[in-house]
Amino acid sequence: MVDLSTSWLGLSLVSPLIVGASPLSKDTDAVAAAVEAGAGAVIMYSLFEEQLAAEQMAAHRFLDIRTDSDAEARTFMPDLDVFSLDAEPYVRQLERLRKRVTIPVIASLNGTTAGGWTRYAKTLESAGASALELNLYEIATSAEEEGAEVEQRQLDLVETIARAVAIPVTVKLSPFYSALPAFVRRLAGVGARGVAVFNRFYQPDVDLDTLGVDRHLVLSTSSELPLRLHALAILGARSKLDLACTGGVHTGRDAAKAILCGAHVVQLASALLQHGPAHVAVVRAELEAWLGEKGYRTSTEARGVLNLDGAPDPEAWERLNYTQILAGWRSSGGVP
Amino acid sequence: MSAVVTSPAPRTMDANEAVADVAYRASEVIAIYPITPSSIMGEHADAWAAEARPNLWGAVPDVVEMQSEGGAAGAVHGALQGGALTTTFTASQGLLLMLPDLFKVAGELTAFCMHVAARTVATHALSIFGDHSDVMAARTTGVALLASGSAQEAQDLAAIGHATTLLARVPILHFFDGFRTSHEITRVVPLADETLRQLLDPAAIAAHRARALDPDAPVIRGTAQNPDTYFQAREAAEPFYTRFPDLLAATMDRFEALTGRRYRPFDYEGDPKAERVIVLMGSGAECAHETVEYLRGKGERVGVLKVRLFRPFSLAHLLSALPRSVQALTVLDRTKEAGAAGEPLLQELTTALVEAVAAGSLPMLPRLAGGRYGLASKEFTPAMVKAVFDDMRAPSPRRRFTVGIRDDVSGSSLPWDEALDIEPDDVSRALFFGLGADGTVSANKATIKIIGERTPLFAQGHFEYDSRKAGSTTVSHLRFGPRPIRSTYGIRRAQLVAVHDPELLERRDVLGAAMPGATVLLNTAVSPERVWETLTRETQDSLVRHRCRLFVIDGYGVAERAGLGGRINTVMQVCFFALSRVLPMDEAMGHVRRSIEETWGRRGPEVVRRNVVALDAALDALHEVEIPLAATAARHRAPVVPEDAPDFVQRVTRLLLEGRGNDLPVSAFPPDGTWPTGTSKFEKRAIARDIPIWQPDLCVQCNFCSMICPHAAIQTKVFAPSQLAGAPDGFRSVPETFEPALAGMQYAVQVAPEDCTGCGLCIEVCPAKDRLAPKRKALVSSPLAEHGDQERASFAFFENLQSAPIAALPIDKRTAALRLPLFEFSGACAGCGETPYLRLLTQLFGDHLLIANATGCSSIYGGNLPTTPYTKNAAGQGPAWVNSLFEDNAEVGLGLRLAVDMEARRARQLLAQVAPRLPAALVDALAQAHGDEAFYAARREQVRELVTLLGADASPEAAALREASRALVPRSVWIVGGDGWAYDIGYGGLDHVLASHRKVNVLVLDTEVYSNTGGQQSKATPLGASAKFATAGKATRKKDLGLMAMSYGHVYVAEVAMQSRSAQTVQAFLEAEAHPGPSLIVAHSPCIAHGYDLVASATQQKRAVDCGMWPLYRFDPRRVDRGEAPLVLDSKAPKLDVATYMQSEARFRMVELRDPARYAMLLEAARDGVRQRHALYEQLSRIHVPAETNHG
Repeated sequence: MVDLSTSWLGLSLVSPLIVGASPLSKDTDAVAAAVEAGAGAVIMYSLFEEQLAAEQMAAHRFLDIRTDSDAEARTFMPDLDVFSLDAEPYVRQLERLRKRVTIPVIASLNGTTAGGWTRYAKTLESAGASALELNLYEIATSAEEEGAEVEQRQLDLVETIARAVAIPVTVKLSPFYSALPAFVRRLAGVGARGVAVFNRFYQPDVDLDTLGVDRHLVLSTSSELPLRLHALAILGARSKLDLACTGGVHTGRDAAKAILCGAHVVQLASALLQHGPAHVAVVRAELEAWLGEKGYRTSTEARGVLNLDGAPDPEAWERLNYTQILAGWRSSGGVP
Repeated sequence: MSAVVTSPAPRTMDANEAVADVAYRASEVIAIYPITPSSIMGEHADAWAAEARPNLWGAVPDVVEMQSEGGAAGAVHGALQGGALTTTFTASQGLLLMLPDLFKVAGELTAFCMHVAARTVATHALSIFGDHSDVMAARTTGVALLASGSAQEAQDLAAIGHATTLLARVPILHFFDGFRTSHEITRVVPLADETLRQLLDPAAIAAHRARALDPDAPVIRGTAQNPDTYFQAREAAEPFYTRFPDLLAATMDRFEALTGRRYRPFDYEGDPKAERVIVLMGSGAECAHETVEYLRGKGERVGVLKVRLFRPFSLAHLLSALPRSVQALTVLDRTKEAGAAGEPLLQELTTALVEAVAAGSLPMLPRLAGGRYGLASKEFTPAMVKAVFDDMRAPSPRRRFTVGIRDDVSGSSLPWDEALDIEPDDVSRALFFGLGADGTVSANKATIKIIGERTPLFAQGHFEYDSRKAGSTTVSHLRFGPRPIRSTYGIRRAQLVAVHDPELLERRDVLGAAMPGATVLLNTAVSPERVWETLTRETQDSLVRHRCRLFVIDGYGVAERAGLGGRINTVMQVCFFALSRVLPMDEAMGHVRRSIEETWGRRGPEVVRRNVVALDAALDALHEVEIPLAATAARHRAPVVPEDAPDFVQRVTRLLLEGRGNDLPVSAFPPDGTWPTGTSKFEKRAIARDIPIWQPDLCVQCNFCSMICPHAAIQTKVFAPSQLAGAPDGFRSVPETFEPALAGMQYAVQVAPEDCTGCGLCIEVCPAKDRLAPKRKALVSSPLAEHGDQERASFAFFENLQSAPIAALPIDKRTAALRLPLFEFSGACAGCGETPYLRLLTQLFGDHLLIANATGCSSIYGGNLPTTPYTKNAAGQGPAWVNSLFEDNAEVGLGLRLAVDMEARRARQLLAQVAPRLPAALVDALAQAHGDEAFYAARREQVRELVTLLGADASPEAAALREASRALVPRSVWIVGGDGWAYDIGYGGLDHVLASHRKVNVLVLDTEVYSNTGGQQSKATPLGASAKFATAGKATRKKDLGLMAMSYGHVYVAEVAMQSRSAQTVQAFLEAEAHPGPSLIVAHSPCIAHGYDLVASATQQKRAVDCGMWPLYRFDPRRVDRGEAPLVLDSKAPKLDVATYMQSEARFRMVELRDPARYAMLLEAARDGVRQRHALYEQLSRIHVPAETNHG
């Protein structure tokens, strides 16, 4: 029997397979089913400050604007005290999940203003979140601001939040950093306890019929895993932070690869949305079988053995993949 | 023994809230139906019940919304019979609908207290405003009538009413003046639960409950009695009425012991030896009280008798209150009873005093006179009160008069001194002219709350709204002073005048009420240095003449920078405190900040954050502008109506638009309420900041823009190119390329720049994009300020272009939009989903259209003065429109049809008589039934020819036919109304009319709530939506009105959604009109009460159709004869999840945010509903129904 228990962000988990941020966590029953199936922790869907602010302003614009504007109607909707457009619904769900499951519940936060990030971080901490996952999400559209400035701003933010709360903070990163290890090192310096690679985003597409831009969120597939494995292998060797793999893990063998590259935990989201929360058990069984087959007694034992330092051929992580493949093709094809 | 209970701290509120607060706590069952101005009492009760606020006995009252006031009264009667402590709130027509039950409740000696925000009963016109015509109509029912004159009194007398009725067993109708009292915010000392508990006698409550119908002690009530019994049994109740006044007085004594506030059945204020006394009830008594104090200060021996208890009328209490010194007594009634010897209060007083003299309890009869005042909230001022007192000592005083108007027809009116102002200088008076959407009224309410609740000052706020739903203007009257404020009239001289939009200065004399030395605050984007030169001569003159100080702020700029869009409420509130100095500025800023947090913090911090940013930035943006010694402007205020407008518009409409309607004498008005159509075109409101500008190079001539425009403010036309000679520079048109039959013609899309509301719908639905710059569509939103002049000239030219002949073209969604709209520029909301249907109706049938319109939004934007949107074509033909009531509209429409048919039959009979003397071809032509589109033009030509020929015929039948000949042009009768009418209050009548087999068409503008009164649920409200009285989300399905109508088999039925599927809508309208029997069209109408940006209404409506919440269909009984299923489904099987639709509207989303589990349950139920309804319709669309056998 392989021992899957692990430690991540100082939390003791029964399994490195955790429920990643997705709409699944809006459904308390589904989360309970994932726990039943062996999930080690759950990261809730993201709290988007931008969305909360936009929704509050939309309500203000379309509801309050009608208040006291007509002789016959003081308002046009029921008294609006009845609902909050701030973090309350999120907090309520967090509390429901904590009540329902015994595994750590991690809140995911996506802020836009410095004040908003810390305010919500504190709110989520006091609501009982075991840890915070911060989504650093920045699409550079300015031609003026340098990458270093962007990174500094993000570091300042993480530092502020890490100081503001006592619970561990992990940072979910996009793949778009020119010097990921250095940035992660600096994240550790400002108080982050872990990083998750990589965030997935809405993919804008072009609508040829309407001459418009369309946005879709497509579920991940295992083909997205290698990008993560690469980053994990490098960070696993270069960083002391706890690593999470997010995006592209659909099977136990996918999970095994991520662990071998250095992941402390492996987040499942698309796979669960596709196959249901009980799918955790399938992944878990496959992972256990593979680890057992290879003689690993614990999953921790397997962690990072194929990272940049540990891999039998470290250059494979460093050299451009294109060259490798080209070379392989040449050698097998025998063309001079 | 009652003990004085500590009074809670004063609060600021209006009478609606103060009364509801008492009635709610003293009741177990509350059955209501929304009606202005009482709706808010019911809404408070509903909101409190939703948050589980308990009544005095720890239970949450059951608040139930009924289908009509008649229904509410029935439910009340039943609840009372069941022993529950019960109340209701109503006004006007609502009260009239309750009368039958009130007779019953009174006849059965039932303890019951109801509350009425007294409102004018509809006569020659509807009015939402206040007078006593409704409560006076209830005086024969046997209910006691109790009157209040202020919010404090209304609260206190509500409590006294609930307590007294339990003791007396006579039901009580407690009333206060609609708007003036129901909506006026003042300082009120609330009543603690404990006070109410001590007031309401537990033994009397127990006795009330013991009278409940009970199978354990069975009795019957409501027997039918014969001549041998009824009379005596009726008289058996008399002792209850006899002792009522004393029981009321005793309760008032107990109330005084508990609160220190004293009331009597009649309260006298004034000189104890007064010679002249005015008697009246309601808010006018406050103004009279104030004036009496003023006149006594001048040495006059005058007084006012405030009537609290009108019925049962108590002579004893009257005599105990009335000074014996009185020589002249004038009774003022706030109602008109045409043809009566005197109005009700006068009659009651006269009878009582004559009796008192006869009985020897009064030595002599004072000189009695009676006057009418204040109908429909007409101003009643100290000057008018003084005029009444003055007339009482005139050499020949009037016995009957009116005051407050100039009656140059019957000569009834007393003159009054407009200049008289009795308000003391230590009362701060501020007037605010704002826009409905800018938050002015809300900000002023917040200011009153701050001053009234956090300082020792007394505060009063009264608010005027115009009847427009888009670009409406508001006037706020705020008073603050060291003494209770009894000034129940508008501010006539203000120390501060705030103008929250510079456009208001262009329309009316807003500075007319500025006192000498007044401070004027103007919100304008113009810099302080340039402001002076932008003002009109009239404004400059006013500022100089009144020696005003002028302050300006770019409130929109400050709000915009703070991320608040056009909401300038906080910015202007700060300016008010800075300029009024009612409070030290630091203290005021602290209060405003707290008030922002309390008001806007409910839904999260973002709105608060942005308002605080605005608050902090406001003072720095406030600047004083130096006023020169004399006006310098050459520019004058433009006339509000064009100089070539018709005489009536010049004489009457112009004054209404200038805010001077009060100056119009009686003779200016048609005596029967008849009003000309087509006046909205003369009111150029220019309320859009940005308007659509047509880009002809991109246009595909689809006419989507003109088809969706709620205000007919963007129009499309095809015309002969020869007419382009004389086109103003910059007028744009292109060759028409869409319709081959119109080849060689020109096509233009034209905005009416000053009628556009800037809703953006036309731009949103425009499908044409620039392939090189896809942001640019064939309509581009552009500033009115830059394009106004050009487009004004272009629209004037466009209006006069003669349309190419399109009558021969088949009518479809495109050609329909090319036809002349005879419904234009209404005051409906920007983005209104109802008005496009009405515009289409007039485009299809307008020149021969009769409309019966139920009360509601469509009667307000359709018929509320000052201007109305139904108009005429060049030949002077157009829709003729009538609004009767809310509940009777289907029947009124049927009546129109009956009359039209009768008149047509009479004309045909006369035609048959004179036919031998007429050309046979003409007679044959006139005998033909409806034909194609060209039919009406041809028929009118035939009728013209007929009338000409009849001119030479001297026979009586020829003369009669000449007069009746108009009936030979068939009329299209349409019955129009909202879902509140069709699904609820008018359903019985609608059902009957549909069953009648008469040729009427019914158009239901279904917004799925009572839109006009503020979004109360109707039976059209969809499952899952939150609405007032269904705050938690409606748990039952929307009534399937169409399916019910289909069950008759002979009714044409369609469900349409014009913004997303106009082709089907046009088809349904044409088929409905062509159907020989009754028709019903249920039209999906996006509304602000759905809680989303209506610019997205086309998209959102498409979602409603695609998810199956709004299936499109046409049910045509004629198809059965062709062997086809009568039902045709025009929308496909639901392909979108209902959730996608629901999550885009606040009415559903707020349910999810409040209670996700309930939302999930309701969503699932909504999905089930959609599946089941689709399955049913799908099957119906495939059934074979045998055709009817002709039973000959």
